[in-house]
Amino acid sequence: MGRTVAYRLVAALPLLVLVSILAFALVHLMPGSASETILGDGANPEAVAELDRALGLDKPLVTQYFTWAGNALSGDFGTSPLTGRSVTDTLTERIPVTLSVAIAGLTVAVLLGIPTGIWAALRYGRWMDRMLSLVTATGLAVPNFWIGILLAYWVGVRTKWLPAVGYTPFAEDPVEWVKSLILPGIALGIGSAAVIARQMRGGLLEVLDRPYIRTARSKGMSFRRVVVVHALKNAFTPVATVLGFQVSVMLGGAVVVEQVFGIPGIGGQLIRAVIEQDIPVIQGVVMFTAVVVIVVNIVIDLSYAAFDPRVRVQ
Amino acid sequence: MTRRSVIRRLVRHPSGLIPASWLTLLVFAAVFGDWITPYDPNEADFLALFEGPSFRHPFGTDELGRDTLSRLIDATSVALLAGVQAVGIGLALGVPIGLAVGYLGGWWDRIAMRIVDAIFSLPGLILAFAIVAVLGPGITNAMFAVGFLFSLRFIRLTRGSVLSTREEPFIEAARLSGAPTIRVLRSYLLPNIAGPLIIQVSISFAAVLLIEAGLSFLGLGVQPPNATWGTMLREARLNQSQSGWLPWPPGLAITLTVLAFNTLGDRLRDVLAEDPASSPPVVPPAEFAPVRPAASVDSDTTGVSGEAFEAVYSLSDALLQVRHLDIEVPTAVGPALAVRDLSFDVSAGDVVALVGESGSGKTLSATAIAGLLPRQVNIVGRSSILFKGDELVGSTDDELRSIRGAHLSMIFQDPMSSLNPSLTIGYQLAEPLRSHLGMNKAQARDHAAELLSRVGIPNPRNRLADYPHQFSGGMAQRVMISIALAAEPDLLIADEPTTALDVTTQKQVLELLVQASEESGMAMLFITHDLGVVAEIADRAVVMYAGQAIETGEVFETFANPRHPYTRALLGSVPLVDKAQKKLVTIPGRVASPSDNSPGCRFVDRCSVSVARCSEAPPPLLSLPSAGRIVRCINPNGSPDGSPTVSSS
Repeated sequence: MGRTVAYRLVAALPLLVLVSILAFALVHLMPGSASETILGDGANPEAVAELDRALGLDKPLVTQYFTWAGNALSGDFGTSPLTGRSVTDTLTERIPVTLSVAIAGLTVAVLLGIPTGIWAALRYGRWMDRMLSLVTATGLAVPNFWIGILLAYWVGVRTKWLPAVGYTPFAEDPVEWVKSLILPGIALGIGSAAVIARQMRGGLLEVLDRPYIRTARSKGMSFRRVVVVHALKNAFTPVATVLGFQVSVMLGGAVVVEQVFGIPGIGGQLIRAVIEQDIPVIQGVVMFTAVVVIVVNIVIDLSYAAFDPRVRVQ
Repeated sequence: MTRRSVIRRLVRHPSGLIPASWLTLLVFAAVFGDWITPYDPNEADFLALFEGPSFRHPFGTDELGRDTLSRLIDATSVALLAGVQAVGIGLALGVPIGLAVGYLGGWWDRIAMRIVDAIFSLPGLILAFAIVAVLGPGITNAMFAVGFLFSLRFIRLTRGSVLSTREEPFIEAARLSGAPTIRVLRSYLLPNIAGPLIIQVSISFAAVLLIEAGLSFLGLGVQPPNATWGTMLREARLNQSQSGWLPWPPGLAITLTVLAFNTLGDRLRDVLAEDPASSPPVVPPAEFAPVRPAASVDSDTTGVSGEAFEAVYSLSDALLQVRHLDIEVPTAVGPALAVRDLSFDVSAGDVVALVGESGSGKTLSATAIAGLLPRQVNIVGRSSILFKGDELVGSTDDELRSIRGAHLSMIFQDPMSSLNPSLTIGYQLAEPLRSHLGMNKAQARDHAAELLSRVGIPNPRNRLADYPHQFSGGMAQRVMISIALAAEPDLLIADEPTTALDVTTQKQVLELLVQASEESGMAMLFITHDLGVVAEIADRAVVMYAGQAIETGEVFETFANPRHPYTRALLGSVPLVDKAQKKLVTIPGRVASPSDNSPGCRFVDRCSVSVARCSEAPPPLLSLPSAGRIVRCINPNGSPDGSPTVSSS
């Protein structure tokens, strides 16, 4: 187990290096230098040169990259020229909120997607299966923020069952925390639920055609037992793969859904950073996302072992 | 397929027609938007704020009293243009890079695909943010960002097509003939890749629309006051306390359009997949008549003396009585009968071999008896399967369940794929013990170990915790046997249980089966193509050909004195070690296909003693009580008009 984790971490290094190079390159892809941005249009060229020196922008690119990457490794993504705050501070303050939203979305996606997929597979070819395939096709097509707007109004504003806007931190009130995440979770999770349902349906149908299912039936096992004990476990592997990919989708989607529900995650900061070209914040978010994606992929890889004993031995 | 016929087929089905109509409507709205909008989309009317749908404003008005329908129509061109831009950039970047990478191969390919995979694993929206940050907000920049991201999809697709086209035999041949690879690829690649590319374009359009709407919703795409579906939702969200109606029209427009592009892509895939060039040739109607089971069965059995037939088959003590079994399978040309009018008995304690070539229907018959036929394969006609006096045909799965495992077990050809890879052997073995014999966990465990030791697995107690992949093929088949025997069934159906094993293991497994059968008085239906195995273990043999039983009898009798020309030919084709044979004897010709419903004998084309009558009418099922034999042949003695010589072995 330990060795597997270590191996996967090493294998993930190229991805991390690649993303860090791309993130670093953002600064230099921008028209005009960072110093010009900070000092504003029509700044004194000497002042710009001075700031360049102060920021280390006069050094060779490779040196700049290693300085930046070294700092990033120690958790320092620099300071936002816009707010003057440390990017790391902003991230540590906002990321837990965004992760909460993403996890809420993932929870909805799994709770909705897996049973739907199983249900459709067991009614293969019948009208319920066809209905569900239309439902999942629609699920893939609805914009998450539209669902969010509708939920916020029809559930939040009209019935007042759940908050239409805002976010309560877990530490403040766990119950309110959950309540403030339900609607965003549904809005974010529906699309992924459709993806998971389709994968689950296809995976289960494929497994149900395998010879060992015939064996289980030949032993006189009940249909329920054949599906639950013999088929599902083997059908989960492809679902796990899709689930890993959905984490990445959730992180992107959370940024949008946060805006619908006025949730103070990283989204608002990020959008502001995009508009104001606040590059360090964007670099920080990109690097953080890459780390999450890598960690999730490792977890998914390890989960294969839980579903398939053949992976465990190798 | 010509372009026209693709389009015609695309819209023939509602799943193609509806999305195509909707998208045509959108294009119309985008082109003629300025003429058909009922109001100026940006004209405010402060006397008509937040109106619901009405005659004057079919979709209502927004916070400035602007007509929602007009804004919706006005936004169409932006949405479609954004899609064209992003997908166009994606194509323009992705296809050449994909072609180059696929063509160059080697390190180029590896490095490029590593980068593509890495970028692909990150959230697209966040990457789009990063690019928009560099370029600045605005719809053109946003769509450039999205186009760049989508180029990754096209790189993957194009590269994949180049690689698979490269490996086509005709490309290889053209290359060997001296044509430069690049020219060969150019002329063959385009037709190969056009279909998948069009599908990908349609699906990408859908994804781009969602992203465009998202970016505009966040204020990073189209800037106000210009209307797009995304900005309309943004405004709806800002005014959500005023009107619950506002988000509906733009949201529905996005959803329907994305759904239309996705569905069209799926439909396109189906249409291109049913390309006649790639599907099996359609047999002309004259050669194929749809199956009418009852009729064909009736005609098959004409000529049998009813009494004689029933006389042989009225063995009342038979454990298993299969009568007139017809099995229908789906084929490219419609349903066909793969097993026709199969009748035979298995008496208690008997070992009956079902013998035949591949495609003779023997495995299908065995599977049908256990009620384990795959989906879409059905028992039809007047088939009957009586097991211990109970009719199995038409029984529900629940009724069959109480028989399967407990009274009737089955083992299969490939033990490895027949055992569940994710459950331990102990668990799989304990299942029938617990459900049929009512043992508790500890009892089942003890008994499972004993069963394993009985089939000759060393160190059984420790092996219970092992998974199937930790066993060799022979050992896995022993495990399968122990599972099948666990509840001490009356009948074991063994479907080629030794075929997948190596020769030394085969013999051991056979001995094990025979021993189990003798010890417990268990009957066995043994499916095989190996005549040697039949001679070794079976009491009776049912020889199958093209879905029919053509000869049934005692093994010794049948082999010594085969009556059907096919049985004779089959026995003649067995290479004998003790006889000096110059060459391997084979039966010329091919087995009649299930969809072949020509009136005569199914063996007529390959028969060396056939006469004109053989292809005119189905041969009768003759019972030869003296020999305890049933033969489906007009000439079971191989004599007069055919004048063959029966080779006695």
